[in-house]
Amino acid sequence: MEDFSLLRKLDRVSAPPDFERKVMSQLSARRKALPQIRRALAFRYSLAGAAAALLVCFVVVNMFVLQKGPLSESAGRTAQGALSPRDFVSISEQVKYSPEIRRASYEPRTAYILEQVSDASNVLIKY
Amino acid sequence: MNMDEQALVLQIQAGDEEAFAKIVHVYKDKIVNYLYQVTGDYQKAVDLSQETFLRVFFKANKYKPIAPFSSWVYAIASNLAKTELKKKWRMGLVSLEDVPPAVEISTPSEEASDSGLVRNLRQALDALSPRYRIPVVLKDMEGYSQEEIAQIIKRPIGTVKARISRGRNILKKQLEKARAENVSFQKKEIFDGRF
Repeated sequence: MEDFSLLRKLDRVSAPPDFERKVMSQLSARRKALPQIRRALAFRYSLAGAAAALLVCFVVVNMFVLQKGPLSESAGRTAQGALSPRDFVSISEQVKYSPEIRRASYEPRTAYILEQVSDASNVLIKY
Repeated sequence: MNMDEQALVLQIQAGDEEAFAKIVHVYKDKIVNYLYQVTGDYQKAVDLSQETFLRVFFKANKYKPIAPFSSWVYAIASNLAKTELKKKWRMGLVSLEDVPPAVEISTPSEEASDSGLVRNLRQALDALSPRYRIPVVLKDMEGYSQEEIAQIIKRPIGTVKARISRGRNILKKQLEKARAENVSFQKKEIFDGRF
């Protein structure tokens, strides 16, 4: 692996002279800014938490209250027994009698009206 | 980890800035050099080194002495380098196949030949994927063992071995390609009567 011993020959660099000073100054700057950063993070997380809680509430209300709403309402009214006319819907159905009349015209035109005139039943009359 | 370093780490965990300054003094050149070899950009290496040391200070409480302290510092540096390289990689930098070969290995002296080879190596290393570059640099330039590299990059040792081997093969292939192109370049110049 002669090529890889050459990797050690690649130019080595060292840190610039003011490196330590820069790191220490950045350290003190960041330490000062740390409470602000933490406060901002806490605010962001609490905002996200509140939004999540609101979403959960919305889902729960949707699932358990809004979906069962109409059923429970009518059940409550029936239990009370007092239904106002508003609770009914009138349904009218049209009946067509003309086919019935036409069918009757094919039958004999004599109409027999059988009426019992006496309370005592006559066994000789056969209906 | 030696006792002095352990004591310094405990002091840093307590928020002692003087102990931190000592750690920076000990590791600054190593970390800057390591990040330079990985990123290939000196200014970027310096910036990432500063960030590495700040993380060492603020995350000192997370350090557990089951691994050497130096491995932990290198792990932080490696993570930062990886993020940086991925960012560059995503921006569509050169692929390994597109690396232009160095064409200046024409003088017969061994030193000059070495400098050409080193230049080729630098270019090939810069074009190597971060996945292979970090283990190869840690192994062949920083001198870490495979077990230590596994701790630093948090991968199984088998993965580390495979990545080092694959990274070396890619570098070797690239160097051979560059050499072949240099030889053909020299022959062409002789044929043209320039020598």
